[in-house]
Amino acid sequence: MSAPPCDTLPTAANNIQPFLVLHKAAASSVPSSRAKRQIQTSQPSSPNPKSANRCRQPVGKECEDEGDLELYEQLRIEAFHRTWSKIQSTIDEVLRAINLKLFDQVLQWAKESFASVRAIAEPHRTEVQQPYPLLTDVICRRIPTAFVLTKNAEFVDDITTFHDLAGHMKFNGCHVVKLSAAELSAKHGVGGCFRSLLRQLLSDVPDVADVSALASWYCEAGNFDQPIIVIIDDLEQCSGDVLGELVMMLSEWVFKIPVFFVMGIATTLDAPKKLLSSEALQRLEPCKLTLGSPSDRLNALVEAILVKPCAGFCISHEVALFLRNYFFRHDGTITSFITALRLACSKHFSMEPLSFLCIGMLEEDSEEFWHDKFESLPQAIQKCAFDLPSSKNANNSNNSCNMVEGLSRLLKLQKDWSSVLLCLYEAGRHDKVQLLDIFCEAVNPDLQTENAPDSYLFASKVTCENLLGVKSGSAKGFIAQVMNTVRYLPTEILLHVLEVWSIHLDGMSEINERVKELQSTTIGADSVRAKRRSTANTGNGTVVLNEKAAALLQDVVRKYLVPVGCLPFHEIICFKNVDILQSALIGNPRRMIQLDLLKSQSHLKCSCCSRSGAAVSGSLHDTSIMCNLAQEYGDVINLHDWYTAFEGIIKSTNSKAKRKSYSSPSKKSKPTPPEAEGMIQARFCRAVTEMQITGLVRMPSKRRPDLVQRITFGP
Amino acid sequence: MAPRGGRAAASSGSEDEEEEAGFSRSYFLAKEKEPSSGKKRARAAAGKLSDLNLVDEQVLRASLAEIPPKHEEEVEALIRSYKDQYRNWLFELRCGFGLLMYGFGSKKQLLEDFASTTLTDFTVVVINGYLPSVNLKQVIATIAEMFWDQTKAKRKRQPGTRSQLSQQFPSQSTEDIISFLMRQTSDDVDDRLCLLIHNVDGPALRDAESQQCLAQISCCPQVRVVASIDHVNAPLLWDKKMVHKQFKWSWYHVPTFAPYKVEGVFYPLILASGGHAQTTKTALVVLQSLTPNAQSVFRVLAEYQLAHEKEEGMPVSSLYTKCRERFLVSSQVTLNSHLTEFKDHDLVKIRKHSDGQDCLRIPLVSDALEKLLQELA
Repeated sequence: MSAPPCDTLPTAANNIQPFLVLHKAAASSVPSSRAKRQIQTSQPSSPNPKSANRCRQPVGKECEDEGDLELYEQLRIEAFHRTWSKIQSTIDEVLRAINLKLFDQVLQWAKESFASVRAIAEPHRTEVQQPYPLLTDVICRRIPTAFVLTKNAEFVDDITTFHDLAGHMKFNGCHVVKLSAAELSAKHGVGGCFRSLLRQLLSDVPDVADVSALASWYCEAGNFDQPIIVIIDDLEQCSGDVLGELVMMLSEWVFKIPVFFVMGIATTLDAPKKLLSSEALQRLEPCKLTLGSPSDRLNALVEAILVKPCAGFCISHEVALFLRNYFFRHDGTITSFITALRLACSKHFSMEPLSFLCIGMLEEDSEEFWHDKFESLPQAIQKCAFDLPSSKNANNSNNSCNMVEGLSRLLKLQKDWSSVLLCLYEAGRHDKVQLLDIFCEAVNPDLQTENAPDSYLFASKVTCENLLGVKSGSAKGFIAQVMNTVRYLPTEILLHVLEVWSIHLDGMSEINERVKELQSTTIGADSVRAKRRSTANTGNGTVVLNEKAAALLQDVVRKYLVPVGCLPFHEIICFKNVDILQSALIGNPRRMIQLDLLKSQSHLKCSCCSRSGAAVSGSLHDTSIMCNLAQEYGDVINLHDWYTAFEGIIKSTNSKAKRKSYSSPSKKSKPTPPEAEGMIQARFCRAVTEMQITGLVRMPSKRRPDLVQRITFGP
Repeated sequence: MAPRGGRAAASSGSEDEEEEAGFSRSYFLAKEKEPSSGKKRARAAAGKLSDLNLVDEQVLRASLAEIPPKHEEEVEALIRSYKDQYRNWLFELRCGFGLLMYGFGSKKQLLEDFASTTLTDFTVVVINGYLPSVNLKQVIATIAEMFWDQTKAKRKRQPGTRSQLSQQFPSQSTEDIISFLMRQTSDDVDDRLCLLIHNVDGPALRDAESQQCLAQISCCPQVRVVASIDHVNAPLLWDKKMVHKQFKWSWYHVPTFAPYKVEGVFYPLILASGGHAQTTKTALVVLQSLTPNAQSVFRVLAEYQLAHEKEEGMPVSSLYTKCRERFLVSSQVTLNSHLTEFKDHDLVKIRKHSDGQDCLRIPLVSDALEKLLQELA
């Protein structure tokens, strides 16, 4: 049964074993330095060859001690885990908070339904276990069912939602069962489905899974006074027959064993009608509930993860744009957005040698943390920090104080930046501006002029113009839009906005005072005006106030909305490499494999094939030749023609080679024709097989044995 | 006959924006090239495979083994160039991602080199997904056994905990084994395990159930997955849940241009009898696994076919009579069961004789058949 270890087997046998144990883990579970050292001696120690532009080379060359390198890698991995677990817990919190309203509604509904069921009949425990129904009235056999409209085209986001819902219901005392679409499939049938229901409630499932087992479990002390909630997260994917049968079965018992359904619906309320028979449908007593939309959730997430520096890690303008497009154009699911962010995070810690300093942002005394860490760094790595492009621009003197100072300032400015951004969003949400859009604009380093006087801290007038959308890349400029919005906000809303501002700007006393000042004048003016005329509020006073608020916002934006990309040492916390992220996130085998074959020279970098221009050279990889030839056919390729063309190319190359060999007398007069023919045919066969493995062509059918089908058309 | 049409599609623009349009354009161009009105003409003009001077299959197979490698040095250099990335791959693996390698060329050697040089802290289990005979349940049972052994060993070290439990994984259901694997955390098991799957899109793993199973294994806490794909449509195997919540792929484009030696073994040769033919070797393997009686029945049929090469095949009735005479079968039922076995393995084809009765024929040329009989003896 167990797979043989491979050491004893030759490679050929390894290839035909369906599976095998290649090797066992090295003795200890903590990264063994012996093994690692081995690796490092066998390869360059640069952790990332692609961007080995600035600081890795010195590390590799000067810092001979591989132990160090390994140590820092370990540190970075730990930093990743800490950072990501912080981000993940933030995500969980945010999503749970957003869904909490719905969860409470469901709980409320469950309690009410339970009460109403018990109000009709309250069976005694002994009655429950008797195998005949309590009531015969059809009306009284309806199962309370909550249809939760998820408003998601993709189901993947709802997995967590329903998981959290189950947790919430359980926490509040309900018995919870989760049935997936896979369990409610025709393959398992109602029996398998009921068994898995029992398995989640009973500790010991009897061989014969029937309702009486459930009944006797329900009568046990501690189980009796709560409803059983069955959560089916993806109704559309379930088998209608199986679900219908389950509904019919449980509805007979609903007064004895109160089993209620919560069903997630991705499309519309019509879904149950389409899925279930009218008979089963009659047995349901529906209640409609709705989840929040994905964009609400995205806004909340962006605020919690990207705007408020929850874990120290942040992303650059390019990455932000990419993530936004990925969300809106790809599939609009929160899950894929989070995946992308997570990948960005891991790429950051894997590529940036100093990224382990990132977790300093989470420390209570960040400055001290960085100081300690930085002091203990070897020279070579310290040098890395001062080789970062951003720190080169900022300062010349290289010492640790400088670095720690830089990082602390970075932290401080990040906080200010996020407060200002939240103020912008607070005003902008009244004009339906999405946080992600403002965020993308606010991290754009183009907003910061390069020749601003007095380095990075204060932006010039030009910046302000940029911020207002005059020159910024996006067509409209969301920040400019927000400014406009503030100018035309009604007073009540403006007052509310100012209130929220003062909360956001709590840490910035100077600005906060100006907000308070504005608030007090607003209140004064407002109350006076309210006395004078109680109808419209478009008086001069309001306009002035709006202008004042807009001016304040503009001022704050100009001073404090400094994109992270403009600050020294930002590389340590900020992930920038959008290309690497993209290629790791979205593999595109269909395009890339064709490109590999059509442009094989660019990968192989050989001297023989590159010179030929348009014509297919015989020296190319065989499959490459075939793929190039295939481009010239329609959706089916005639094997005979394909072979003839292939043979032509090979032979022309061979004859050229032969002519050469004639001119310089050589002994190689072979190969003889039949052998050569066989060889070309074998090469042809192999190339076709390889194209078949990659899925570029499909084998001939019996009906048309001379034609293969082309599957891919143009990279 | 020269290939028709220009080569516009070959070098179409590589701009991302134009990609979609380019794709559909090439598709319709390709459709156009197949003249729908002049289909007959095209068919008449097109050459047939049988017009080619095809060499014998044995010669073909012999040549196949001797194809001189092209660009050997460059391919090696290319594969070597990925070594620099091993540490990054390991980093990502440790961060909880699965690695998915794609690009033209066999990645078997590359991945196994990566596993044996860099994944020394992991126990590495290799699945050769290109084989048609992969049994995932066996794989997960083996993994579960390894985990179980470790848990047992660990519990022995900690006094006061039960250690006498025994588990019979092979007899448990797949779901139960997976839920056991799911429960294993670093407290129970010391070693982390890396599942190295060559061709996760391979023929035996292409069904939804296998992929679901692999996806479930890949999100077990102590398991990491490194996999390769070769088929251009491989991503269609996975839904959003599998991609984002279970496999958590990090893609790497690593074309190697190494020949698909082992991966291609199970594909029929296109120039060998239309690509469908039974080969002597595979026939032999199948026959050897059958009972001696079944082998003898096959022998009767083969001898008849060799003696009557011109005929369309051996009538079932005469096969039955022959076999009864030699006491190979006792009834038509037993003969039928043998025949079903033969048919299932493509050892025998049934066709209608011109006089209406079914007759049997072994889809092998006489030489191959003779050789098969010799080897069977």
